[in-house]
Amino acid sequence: MAVEIKTETIEYHGRSTMLVSVKNGEAAIGICSAGYNGLGGANAINKIFFIGNDPIVNIVCPARGNNQSDKMLAVAPGFVGYDQKINAVINGCFDKLNGGEALTTGMRDIFNMLQDGVYAVYLSDYYPTDGNSSFFWGAYNILHDVHGTAEHGRVVGQRTFKPCFLIPSQPLDYYAPKTKVNTDDLVKRRKIQGIVYHLSGFHSVVLKGHHGAVCCVDNEVPFTCAVIEKICEPYTKKFVPPQPAAAPVPDIDPDNPEAAPSEEAAAAPPPVSVPIAVPEGITGFRCASLKLPLDVFPKDMLRMLIEERAEYKPRQFDILIAKLNTVRKKALSNNVLPFSVLEKTDTLPDCDMVESAYAIDGLSDEQLDHLLAGDVECNGEIIISPNFYSSIVTACNYLQFTDMKRFVDFSIAILDNPELSATHEYVAHRALSQISNKKLGAFFAGVVSSRDAKYEKIMTVAQTFMERSKNR
Amino acid sequence: MLLSDIVIIIKCGLQTCLRRVITFRITEERVLTLAFCDMKPVSVTDAQGSTTYIIGNVIAIYRAETASPLVYSWDMVKSVAISRRDFKIVAGNNTIVIPYRLFGSDETVLKAITIIECHQKEYDFTYQHEKRMLPLKSMYVECAPGRETYIGEGVFDEGETAAAFIALLNFKLIKFLWLIAILIMLVTLGVIQLNWGITRDKVLYYIPISIAIGGIVSLLVYIIAHAVARARFKSKCNADLASRQPITFVISRVGFAVCESCVYESRDLIPWGEIDYFVESDKMFILYKNNSVVAYIPKKAFNKKHVGGVADILALSAEQR
Repeated sequence: MAVEIKTETIEYHGRSTMLVSVKNGEAAIGICSAGYNGLGGANAINKIFFIGNDPIVNIVCPARGNNQSDKMLAVAPGFVGYDQKINAVINGCFDKLNGGEALTTGMRDIFNMLQDGVYAVYLSDYYPTDGNSSFFWGAYNILHDVHGTAEHGRVVGQRTFKPCFLIPSQPLDYYAPKTKVNTDDLVKRRKIQGIVYHLSGFHSVVLKGHHGAVCCVDNEVPFTCAVIEKICEPYTKKFVPPQPAAAPVPDIDPDNPEAAPSEEAAAAPPPVSVPIAVPEGITGFRCASLKLPLDVFPKDMLRMLIEERAEYKPRQFDILIAKLNTVRKKALSNNVLPFSVLEKTDTLPDCDMVESAYAIDGLSDEQLDHLLAGDVECNGEIIISPNFYSSIVTACNYLQFTDMKRFVDFSIAILDNPELSATHEYVAHRALSQISNKKLGAFFAGVVSSRDAKYEKIMTVAQTFMERSKNR
Repeated sequence: MLLSDIVIIIKCGLQTCLRRVITFRITEERVLTLAFCDMKPVSVTDAQGSTTYIIGNVIAIYRAETASPLVYSWDMVKSVAISRRDFKIVAGNNTIVIPYRLFGSDETVLKAITIIECHQKEYDFTYQHEKRMLPLKSMYVECAPGRETYIGEGVFDEGETAAAFIALLNFKLIKFLWLIAILIMLVTLGVIQLNWGITRDKVLYYIPISIAIGGIVSLLVYIIAHAVARARFKSKCNADLASRQPITFVISRVGFAVCESCVYESRDLIPWGEIDYFVESDKMFILYKNNSVVAYIPKKAFNKKHVGGVADILALSAEQR
């Protein structure tokens, strides 16, 4: 049966979103369950991200696939690269996009290769890291817990967020310095630097643009990607019943406060809470970056969302499983990424910062002052979290992502306060990445020279900071 | 006995107890990987064409009069009851009743039951079902069956399965019947003694009469028990749509499967830890958990030369009684 692709642009909350539905797709790119194979313990659910006949990423979802738990990820052990035909198709789409074609038409050939379902397609900037300050290419050789891969991390919760970290679909052996040199100039002219497929949480797999990502970091160009994100998760808006109107306060005679209230006030009816119908069922469907109510979806797309499976095994599943157990004997080459790229990766935001940025709407100076004074509340409202240390950590990450000047001031204020010593080590480590900042430099120089007992916990970090800034 | 000996004995006893506790914990850790996750959602429309029900990743109700469907996620489902006539799903404040006749075929009903049972495992809602010939789908996990795997297919032969069922009943009844025969014989002798008195010249008549009465009563009990067992078995067969469907039987070192062929996916197995023991009759293997039957595996479903291999795997994986 021929592949049926439908694209529709919808307007919701003043934001236009492009939806793509795929029916009878080739299922050459996607995620499927790999069953129980002992990885990650008895309660883990194992999945694979595949391209064509090649398993690319092993995904281990601990705790029965709990969507608040981070996943364990690794590039499939036997992986040496995927089908050249699929690679050519993806390259073709990439060229079309940079040739000025719209996302709908330019990526049509990729849509044909997806699993059946409804996808959101948009442009977004990515940080070419694994979310933990390592460059993404080569960061997934060993199966490990990757922070930020939970569908609904504990910091962000049920809010929507733009995925922004990467997972490679090629082994690091594919890195060629020659290609990097050629791509260096291209990235400055390109509108779109890569094509990615959203995998889980803040992480997406790069289908195209590995060398582009290296060059973008090196040349400090934003890594703008065309993102494909599957919409399949139902969500329900929490219904908060409105408070019934407060009863009118009876007039009290100031001379005789214990006297009974006036007859008029006593006769006033008690506040009546009007029963409000709570909507039945789910509110809509969502992916990481979007929440769309049922009535916003085009009818045929909604029907498809309901009648399709969230993920399913492709025809080539047996081949994938057979390949999953193969182990590559040796590396294709011993390529190493340029040092300048690795160094610049350190300065890119990490997952903690991005999570905090999505978790908080804003932090006023007054709120920061309350936090520094040891309060978690400001004007009767909880600022971030009832947990003080969690609030400090989140505030720090938020400021580091949004406003470097305020971050530096806030960090120094915390580090200078011996009563907040429990947070000193964490905050100092966060500040360590800002080697070029003069104010922090002066502060850490003061710490090293003073040898004050209140700086005991951050002394090592301060010394490291000074050493690194000397070596720059 | 020396005091040190007593201390050693107590220590050994404690160690044994601890080992038992630890073993118990390990066996209690269940593998919870979901099975049958590739099942396509089931969609049925009522006779008037006004309402469509979809059971899949979500439960949806499309009504002609409303523009938007009413959709429930599985975490909103409070209970599901499957009777001989319909499905009753309680979700949110709504009770959805879907009669079997809307499904068109038994295969579609079985697919819907499979989806429900798999989600029951994940979301733990209340689940009531009719008598079952086949194990619940929530017992399955998705895993690779491994190299040494025997696969068979066939429809349950009612007579054969009933015979195996009754053979097992005989095994349980036989001691009970002897007891009944002896008791009835003694009671008969007592009654004769009270009414007519046992004299030396008549004892040769009375003893055979007592034995005969004991035997006849036991035989009657035996016949009644068989009739009841057969009726119960028949009602179980009638209650389960699967008894009329082709069944896939899989036996591997990892686990086993006894599942309707129309819903079976090649990687879904029940781990051996889910059964306590098995009994082998001349025509079947019957698997038990908590002294109730989990699955009937007829020998004729497999190639004759593979039956030995199947028996070997069973003997290695579970206790034989």
